[in-house]
Amino acid sequence: MLRGYLRELWHWWVDGWNRFWFSPADPATLGLLRALAGGMLLYTHAVWSLGLNDFFGPYSWVSPQAAHELYRGDVPWSWFWHISSPTLLWLLHTAVLVVMAMFALGLFSRVTAVLSWLCAVAYAHRVPGALFGLDQINAMLAMYLMLGPCGAAWSVDRWIARWRSGRPLPPAVPSTAANLAVRLIQVHMCVIYFFAGISKLQGQSWWAGTALWGAVANLEYQTLDLTWMCHTPWLVALLTQATVWWELFFCVLVWPRLLRPLVLAFAVPLHLGIAVGMGMVTFGLVMLIGCASFVPPWLVRRLLGGGPAVPPAGVESGAPRAGRAMRRRRGARG
Amino acid sequence: MASTPVATPNGSGGAELPTWGRTVRRLASGALAFHLVGILVGPLSLPPALLADYLRRVYSPYIEAAYLDNAYKFFAPDPGPSHLLRWTAVMPDGSRRQGLLPDRQQHWPRLFYHRHFMLSEFVAGQPDPNWEPDTPWERLPNSELQRLLARSFARHLLYKLGAQSVTLELIEHALPNPEQVQQGLRLDDPSLYRSRKLGTYRRRGE
Repeated sequence: MLRGYLRELWHWWVDGWNRFWFSPADPATLGLLRALAGGMLLYTHAVWSLGLNDFFGPYSWVSPQAAHELYRGDVPWSWFWHISSPTLLWLLHTAVLVVMAMFALGLFSRVTAVLSWLCAVAYAHRVPGALFGLDQINAMLAMYLMLGPCGAAWSVDRWIARWRSGRPLPPAVPSTAANLAVRLIQVHMCVIYFFAGISKLQGQSWWAGTALWGAVANLEYQTLDLTWMCHTPWLVALLTQATVWWELFFCVLVWPRLLRPLVLAFAVPLHLGIAVGMGMVTFGLVMLIGCASFVPPWLVRRLLGGGPAVPPAGVESGAPRAGRAMRRRRGARG
Repeated sequence: MASTPVATPNGSGGAELPTWGRTVRRLASGALAFHLVGILVGPLSLPPALLADYLRRVYSPYIEAAYLDNAYKFFAPDPGPSHLLRWTAVMPDGSRRQGLLPDRQQHWPRLFYHRHFMLSEFVAGQPDPNWEPDTPWERLPNSELQRLLARSFARHLLYKLGAQSVTLELIEHALPNPEQVQQGLRLDDPSLYRSRKLGTYRRRGE
């Protein structure tokens, strides 16, 4: 009986694993994520231009020597360690912006995706102390986008291919790599939210329901005066606890088809609130870009047009039907 | 992972399509399993945890090289006071110049402001590990890392401004509680600020 249970458990796990990671998917969602994340990468790195020497030069705020000491011997790679000439720094930075613009537009996507990720990591490693969540999510998205055919939809690459063929192209071929890349972003978003939620429980104010006041009353973050909330402690408590619970259970509730729109809908006011209220527009938006990985390809096509936009009957992804197909095959094998 | 190589396209609603072969899937599954454990190491390491320490021995090269060593503790465990850095430079003609990190007037757009804000927060976030809990914040000794960062910041300002000397101060801006704001206390009330000197730095050889 135990062997039977273990065998069934093993098959259940293997089928589920294969279905989740290796089902081919329409690259529409991946293409959309490339355009959005590429745009954010471009903007993030373009802003470095305002203080390139201040942050990356030999006499920067955190000098190369200071950064090396901060890393205590485990100095991560970055080409900036080897650049001291301001001219070379600017030349390289300009090239990086061009690469990221190409990536956002979807030009030579497979190559520019890899280069964009390398650039994002090289910049992050050079400036410890000036980083925050935006850089972490930027690098994460770039890493996974380079694993799939991120230029197979909504890209200049595709437009060029259509122009060369002289007639409308057939819909993009469903791809296992496209599914894998999107799944990795989805899972990583779950990890991020879960740890963001569980680490808040290590503090008192999130549990007590007062933490949101800490954000409202912080003048250095403030872009919108919400101090009127001092008169509505119940609202502070409600929003504080809703944030924690939503972050904690995102990794569970985002998967069921019927709950997914609700879970994602909550992300919009949460992150736009951070964007507008605390002036962290880039961080709020990049988290929403990560959440967009949960939008199924058929819905992306329906919203953006271009190609078939047919929702699978009864399910938002083909995965459950693939599972049934697999079970039928195993049943046929006896 | 041994299973059927047939699957239905995710979201296409169409017919079954071939996916990767068994060998490729097995290799990819191994890489996936390695990576998925790897992205847990950063969050599990803060605060330190025994399991994370063991995993880190294996994963450090990978997660550090790929910038995956992140804890994702946004505004956790508690939102606290913010920190600013005030610098005062003495120029060769004896005049003084002052500045603040971050400075809303100077550092624009907001992302650029935030980069400078993170610098001052980073300095404040490196306290002396041996500090006495009863020591007032203003009298806390600067840690080795704080002195290292202050030296670097001062060197930057000396070079950029052509100054003779630079004095750095760390400022803590406390958060008023709701009752204080109800009673009319402003968020920028002077009573909410306190500062301590990080050091005065001069050009080398002078």
